[in-house]
Amino acid sequence: MEKLKQHPIVKKAGFNRIVLCGVLALMYLLFSLANKNFAGLPRILSALNYAYFLGFLSLGVTFVIATGGIDFSIGPVMFCAALISGFCLTSYGVPMGISLVLSVLVGMLFGVFNGYLVAYCSVPPFIVSMASMNIAKGLASVFTKTQTVSWPQSSAPGGWYRNLIKMGSIPVGLIIFLAFAALCAVILNQTRAGRYILCLGSNQEAVRLSGVNVKKWKMLAYVICGTLVGIAAIFFVAAYTTVQPGYGDQYNNEAIAGCVMGGTSMAGGLASISGTVIGVFVIALLQEGILALGAAKDYQQVITGIIVIAAVYADVAARRRKN
Amino acid sequence: MGEVILTMKDIDKTFPGVHALDHVNFEVRKGEVHALMGENGAGKSTLMKVLTGIYAKDSGTITYEGKEVSFHNTREAQDAGIVIVHQELNMVGHLTVAQNIYIGREFRKGIRIDDKKMNEEAAKLFDRLRIHIDPTETMSSLTVGKQQMCEIAKAISRDAKVIIFDEPSAALTEAEIEELFKIIRDLREQQVGIVYISHRMDEIKVITDRVTVMRDGAYVGTLITKDCSKEDIINMMVGRVIYEDPKACSAVPPDAPVVLRVEHLNAGRMVQNVSFELHKGEILGFSGLMGAGRTETARAIFGADPKESGDIYINGKKVEINSPQDAVRNGIGYLSEDRKQFGIVVQKTVAENSTLANLGNFMRGLFINKRKEAQVAQQYVDSLATKTPSVEQLVVNLSGGNQQKVVIAKWLVKDCEILIFDEPTRGIDVGAKNEIYKLMNRLAAEGKSIIMISSEMTEILRMSDRVLVMCEGKKTGELDIQEATQETIMTLATREISI
Repeated sequence: MEKLKQHPIVKKAGFNRIVLCGVLALMYLLFSLANKNFAGLPRILSALNYAYFLGFLSLGVTFVIATGGIDFSIGPVMFCAALISGFCLTSYGVPMGISLVLSVLVGMLFGVFNGYLVAYCSVPPFIVSMASMNIAKGLASVFTKTQTVSWPQSSAPGGWYRNLIKMGSIPVGLIIFLAFAALCAVILNQTRAGRYILCLGSNQEAVRLSGVNVKKWKMLAYVICGTLVGIAAIFFVAAYTTVQPGYGDQYNNEAIAGCVMGGTSMAGGLASISGTVIGVFVIALLQEGILALGAAKDYQQVITGIIVIAAVYADVAARRRKN
Repeated sequence: MGEVILTMKDIDKTFPGVHALDHVNFEVRKGEVHALMGENGAGKSTLMKVLTGIYAKDSGTITYEGKEVSFHNTREAQDAGIVIVHQELNMVGHLTVAQNIYIGREFRKGIRIDDKKMNEEAAKLFDRLRIHIDPTETMSSLTVGKQQMCEIAKAISRDAKVIIFDEPSAALTEAEIEELFKIIRDLREQQVGIVYISHRMDEIKVITDRVTVMRDGAYVGTLITKDCSKEDIINMMVGRVIYEDPKACSAVPPDAPVVLRVEHLNAGRMVQNVSFELHKGEILGFSGLMGAGRTETARAIFGADPKESGDIYINGKKVEINSPQDAVRNGIGYLSEDRKQFGIVVQKTVAENSTLANLGNFMRGLFINKRKEAQVAQQYVDSLATKTPSVEQLVVNLSGGNQQKVVIAKWLVKDCEILIFDEPTRGIDVGAKNEIYKLMNRLAAEGKSIIMISSEMTEILRMSDRVLVMCEGKKTGELDIQEATQETIMTLATREISI
């Protein structure tokens, strides 16, 4: 096993990611064998339509985890963004385009809020995100007066937003998601922001003592996350159309699981966008597969929970071995 | 002084790369206060750690109360009656005094802790020591001095027959030191054997009966306190033969401009009214014992820690430095003591670590010019002779000395005019040490100004143009290299009065 790990191709692609792709292929095989209707690209793509929002959540939280922090508010903030912008759309007649921008803005503002508290006020990320979570849920409820918000169907005016998921048989959502993933990868690996974010996640004090303004870059990670959460909200409503206030937590675990599975370390300093993307596919496929096997939705949650623990444990164990 | 209660004979201990204890002998009698002295790295702490079971000795014998013993952990040593009162007190702030004293061996009534009994027993202990402390008080509300007395009470409660005090007076006021000495004298009368580790010459003369001096891991000798002088002790502490010639004279021309002027710098207890000047092309050695405040001074200048007051002038102009960012922008670089904690980013490569202080210079628009980064990093790998297969190697895989070179490269890439090296050759093998010395001389010759903090006497004497000595937060003296000797430096390092 050790020799295999040293092989140049394995090193370049990342042992973690190769294993993950293997898991993906295996799962696909098993599910297809269990359910004849499972196989086939159209079926996969239609399943993915409901997972792009998760992908954006995972991309966002990757930046936060890279700094060594955590963000449990992503699910509720996504809902808050969808609810506030949706309410503006349906009750105040705000045009669709502006509503979509509003969604991103809400997400970004929460990112600024979280980032400021963590970076400049030194409040532990765990506490900040827990508090944010509640604020997001409450805010959404207050804004929509606890009403459920229904975004328009494709045929209704403004319904073009649903094309963001797919236009006919073109998987627009997939293209947009992968494009954003590529952008995130570039930011993380090729820009100053990404370099500082990863370095401070690994050793914040060393970076500070090198004359870098760590607070600024740490906060930026949260702002990036918030923005991506706002975009996630768009893809959520494009898929599901209906949003109910008071929910959103369940997606936290899946998003974080997808991220950590892909090789991003909870200790900070090590992050992989491509790993996150594969991790998201694994989670999406898993959920779809469980449904295809005929299991109830609740089993999905149990199994996802177990996967989260397994993924994080694998990360912790790998780090302990390295030490 | 009574009979011998503890004998450590021929104790030898080697860590990878360093011979920490070289056939050391040490003996303690009942009813004596025996000082253990030596510079940093002399081996005092290591010897005590071997005694109390924290380290395992490689060879030698420890005889206690007539029997040969070998403790595997502090608990065993404590149960036998050998206790250390550490410099950093191990107290639980929110518990009471009595609870702290009996932690781990609480009196119980069934399954409930018997606080009443603990308070009574604690009060009895304090009576024995003739201290006035209320056992029901919360530990964190006591002064450091009183907390230390609780530690002593804790030691007594274990029926300690040998008590080791590690730098006990460092955090105490004059009055508290008097009280401490009273207690020590009482303990001495009760035939407890006391080891007193300290560098405060005046106290040694007052409270101790004998002095044992260690140097570079070896036992040098034991003197009877009242029969010897401070100079005798200092000579024993430093009297080594230096194989490299100390610097003959300063390499700095007398008309060299002042690049850095620090005036009345204050930052807590460790930096008290420190003022000095640094000239262009000079290597200013900061000498002193551990805890003298040199690192704290450097960090205050660099903006890494907040300061209470003080002015910093660079090339004659006053500058505001409130963060490392400000310092770096003004051309100051700081190589910290602990490179693993503060110097390198372990998950990143040699190239990425090298550009960390100056990344702005490696941008092409919004993107990092990784080719330029690798090129420049390779330049410094070559010029510093850093042993690494490539600049894409993760820093964590390099040896200590080479990691240090990467951190040095980082500041060279930034092209700082003023460099503060804090223990630059700590934990580095001789070969790499010499390379770093050569590098520092080269930098000084090129006109960079260097502050070198070092606890190694030979290093200070070899590299410095001038030596600044600190003791307990105050600057106690400045010496030109011609007048600097181990003795003069050590005298200043053990004095508390500032000039």
